Amino acid sequence: MISDELACLIRDGYNALGELGFAESLSGYRLYHWADRNSLSQARVYRSSKDAREIAKYDSSGAYRPLKGAPNLPRGWVLELPNINDLKRALDFFYPGAIATWLAFREGKTEPVCLRQTLNRQTGMYRVTRKLTADQAQSLVREACRSDSRCLRTILWGIEPDHPPDFLPASKSDPTVDQTGQKRAALPFLCLEACNLLVAAARTTVKKTSR
Amino acid sequence: MIEKRKSALVLVGHGSTLNPDSSAPTFQHADEIDRRGLFAEVYCTFWKQEPSLREVLRMVESDDIYVVPNFISEGYFTETIIPRELELTGPVTRRSGKVIKYCEPVGNDPRMIDLLLRRARDAAPGVPPEKTSLLIVGHGTSLNQKSAEAAHQQVRVIREKRLYAEVMEAYMEEPPFIADWRKNTSQKHVVVVPFFIADGLHSYQDIPVLLGIESARTAAASQQEIFRRNPYSLDGRELYYASAIGTEPLMADVILDTVVRFDRKHLYDLAA
Ligand code: SF4
Repeated sequence: MISDELACLIRDGYNALGELGFAESLSGYRLYHWADRNSLSQARVYRSSKDAREIAKYDSSGAYRPLKGAPNLPRGWVLELPNINDLKRALDFFYPGAIATWLAFREGKTEPVCLRQTLNRQTGMYRVTRKLTADQAQSLVREACRSDSRCLRTILWGIEPDHPPDFLPASKSDPTVDQTGQKRAALPFLCLEACNLLVAAARTTVKKTSR
Repeated sequence: MIEKRKSALVLVGHGSTLNPDSSAPTFQHADEIDRRGLFAEVYCTFWKQEPSLREVLRMVESDDIYVVPNFISEGYFTETIIPRELELTGPVTRRSGKVIKYCEPVGNDPRMIDLLLRRARDAAPGVPPEKTSLLIVGHGTSLNQKSAEAAHQQVRVIREKRLYAEVMEAYMEEPPFIADWRKNTSQKHVVVVPFFIADGLHSYQDIPVLLGIESARTAAASQQEIFRRNPYSLDGRELYYASAIGTEPLMADVILDTVVRFDRKHLYDLAA
């Protein structure tokens, strides 16, 4: 079970994922924004894993967060959860599939998919994205996925088949690096395949150049 | 009552990168089914939101998986996008020890008729149906969905029930147009039910403008407001506007029915 593995990882010392921090507590598990870890007594307490979905929906300015990996989670809350299943569910509301993906990757059960393959698969309004050149792709990904402002996932895919993501800063494709730059014992938060937002951005790039 | 304690349910929604209300009904129905404890796991996945169709199956731990598209009709998403992104080979896909069962879109369920009628009744309580025009509104062509066809089918069945003085259809992007409702309906009372999965920009902004109950497309501070101001008095008519059919709580039961219908239809494929 994924939740059992998560419990092991926590016992092994992992205490962070993306912008989140978590720990065992007297009554189960506690989950919070890492930046609030020293001021949790002032944070608003929530007790259901489903509250995580609402917290993750908007940033602190009230804007909708379509990309879950964006480094703009609101602060000032703490989830007190009764057991490891609820912690897993809450983490999945913040960072959908992050833990399952990491475990599957670690066990060799899943592989990254290169950008070219993702784009060539598209149909309908996204079919044009197959025209994205390698150069365009590299600058797009460097900008649209950067960890300091856009997305905290670690990219394991390259542009073309069998190419490593060597056009990125080495840290962005190293699962052992904490993408928030804080050197915490963070669970890897992987990107194994370009997301729909990036595909949409690729479409915008192609449309601009063909004008 | 179905019980699938060893199976997972994966509900697929369209989702949106702009409007959180788009995914709200999918989450709402998943929560309700989860609350009833009928499945080992219940997940939502979206074309435009996370978890994506590419990652959701990694999250599922059961070996027996029902995938139900929370879509109003067959079309581009159910026929192309979902099978492609989930790498499905047909209604039943067997892969690495798992069986993935791809159900029909919820909009195909015969019970959608009951939902439409209930929505219409709740939107206009106490208004006699025999003096009312029921207007079912859909999107129409451009989305490459067969949604107009599906709406058309519902209209036909409801018409045959002879509950309402008349039952009409209208679309945003193909005739009969929503904007022509005054001309195309004859009764004093008109109840409008959007044949959509979610309340999005269409039901908050576009359709109200087409109906003439809003003058401009405004991003309402409280979008629900639009449904609370019923009835709207326009040109001597009383218009009642309902929220999208897919937000009806009974949709949870429609989803469960969809799973039951799958099992019945694919009895032999599954035994193989
Ligand atoms: S492609 Fe991956 S890293 Fe880039 S924004 Fe999407 S999820 Fe984040």
